[in-house]
Amino acid sequence: MKLTIDQRWDLIDKIAKQTVTFGEYRHTLKDAIGELTVKPFTGIPIAIAVMYAFWSIFGSFAGFFTDGFFVRLFDAYWLPWLQEVFPGQGGWLYAIMVDAGGIEGGEFVLSDNCLESFGVLTSGIFVAIGVVLPAIVIFYLMLALLEDIGYMPRLAVLIDTMLHKIGLHGYAIVPTILSLGCNVPGVTATRILETKKQRFIMMTLLAIFIPCGAQIGIMQDVIPGLMGWILLYLIIGYFIFGYILNKIVPGKAPEFLIDVPPYRRPMLSNIGKKVWGRITGFFKVAIPFVLLGAAIVGVLYQIGVIRFLGDALAPVFVGWFGVPKETAGPLIAAFLRKDLAVAQLSVIEMTEYQMITAVVLVSIYFPCVATFAMMLKEGWKELLGAMAVLVVVVFAYGGLIHLIGILLGVA
Amino acid sequence: MAGKSSVAAIYFAILGIVTTAFGIADILVTAGASEFAYGILEIPGDIFRGGWGGVIVFFAGLFYLSGARNLEDIHQFSKIVMGSILIWIMAGCDIFAMITESIPSWEEETGPWFNTLPDFIAAYAPPYAPAVLLLPFSLVVVYYIRKRNQEI
Repeated sequence: MKLTIDQRWDLIDKIAKQTVTFGEYRHTLKDAIGELTVKPFTGIPIAIAVMYAFWSIFGSFAGFFTDGFFVRLFDAYWLPWLQEVFPGQGGWLYAIMVDAGGIEGGEFVLSDNCLESFGVLTSGIFVAIGVVLPAIVIFYLMLALLEDIGYMPRLAVLIDTMLHKIGLHGYAIVPTILSLGCNVPGVTATRILETKKQRFIMMTLLAIFIPCGAQIGIMQDVIPGLMGWILLYLIIGYFIFGYILNKIVPGKAPEFLIDVPPYRRPMLSNIGKKVWGRITGFFKVAIPFVLLGAAIVGVLYQIGVIRFLGDALAPVFVGWFGVPKETAGPLIAAFLRKDLAVAQLSVIEMTEYQMITAVVLVSIYFPCVATFAMMLKEGWKELLGAMAVLVVVVFAYGGLIHLIGILLGVA
Repeated sequence: MAGKSSVAAIYFAILGIVTTAFGIADILVTAGASEFAYGILEIPGDIFRGGWGGVIVFFAGLFYLSGARNLEDIHQFSKIVMGSILIWIMAGCDIFAMITESIPSWEEETGPWFNTLPDFIAAYAPPYAPAVLLLPFSLVVVYYIRKRNQEI
């Protein structure tokens, strides 16, 4: 027996009437607010407010611990104590482990703060504990809260259209935000993207344009007034080079289907476990690299490699990027210690625009060694590809920022 | 019920106008790269709190204005609630900043670690940012949420 389309629908109606019971559905306030947060006209202002709260609380919390207590603890107690008890003042081991110091009037002078001493036990530990730890704790706490409340999928839906322009989709917001804490879990989270093309674009953009919590913490500490401009340059670069990569990288960028869950009350135990897991993960993977990086940079400084490279590359930095030749050293050392490179830049005399350019260069420069290692785990071909893109981006974007400065008359 | 609802609509419409005005003032003060203080009101001029924050206060006002008509409808009422949530976010961040700034002494290395009691209390004294001043008025929405829940 063959049924027409109308007969089929009639049959479906009859079966449904006999088998399905419909209850009364009441639209709750939670449902209505949930809808408001995914519609662009209302959702975007809400997303702006959520991001504002994220960074405001981040800044207040990190500033409270770092500037309120840790700076004093490390500069007034830890550094002077180590400077006194560590043997061999002025020697190479002392310089690497405690204080590289400086020369004033031909004499060796000790540093008076942990940001400028550049020792493994002073700057290294201060950055890890005094700057990064508070920043990472509050960052992951806020992120876990947003995840558990159910806001992250809504943010993914909101930003989906924009991220499609660069070959990604809404869920790319997860590795992007995770990378603002630390690039290492960010690179790992790229696995939630479906295709090789998407993973490559995401990993490359993370390594280049997303500053980690350590770097943001230091920027907040030493150049708070310029952070807005620096982040603006990085966001613009993220989309410009994402768009270009999407055009030139072969492969597919499929659509995504997402189930937006209702808002839920967050569970304290769940948030505690998430934050603890991420912080311990960060300390296990990233901190050893931070301390190792500090030691290697110290050794390279001591044997004169950084100075040699700085002198050799100074014409490029001055001519192409428009920054003083003194920045060459920190920019080269940035491969191993991005956070300390920002600190080193902050004590060099330069204009505001040069400072913005230099810090943007530090950010888009090679990823830190820990991220480098994670990218290598994802595949050496991807790593080499990302590095090739990175070199091009550093020169193109660095030159472009210089050009913008010249046109504005500020470079 | 209709009478009470119209009272609520008028209340939130007025609150919407005031909130929108504060948002615009925030944005204008920031655009002028200055600060404004009058009585218990202080509008910060920095791009983050004044600019970005001003945009959020402005949208909170628009949410109030947009939701003030036909409040019985859950979608309209949710806009009012969202307007209040935006104010709570802004005011919450300002109050959190006050708390974190009030505890350490912020003095150089030789000073005490913690703030003195008078300075601690002084940190909470006026003037306040617009969102903090709007906070008590935005809390009225809690009454209407409870009322709505009881009616259901």
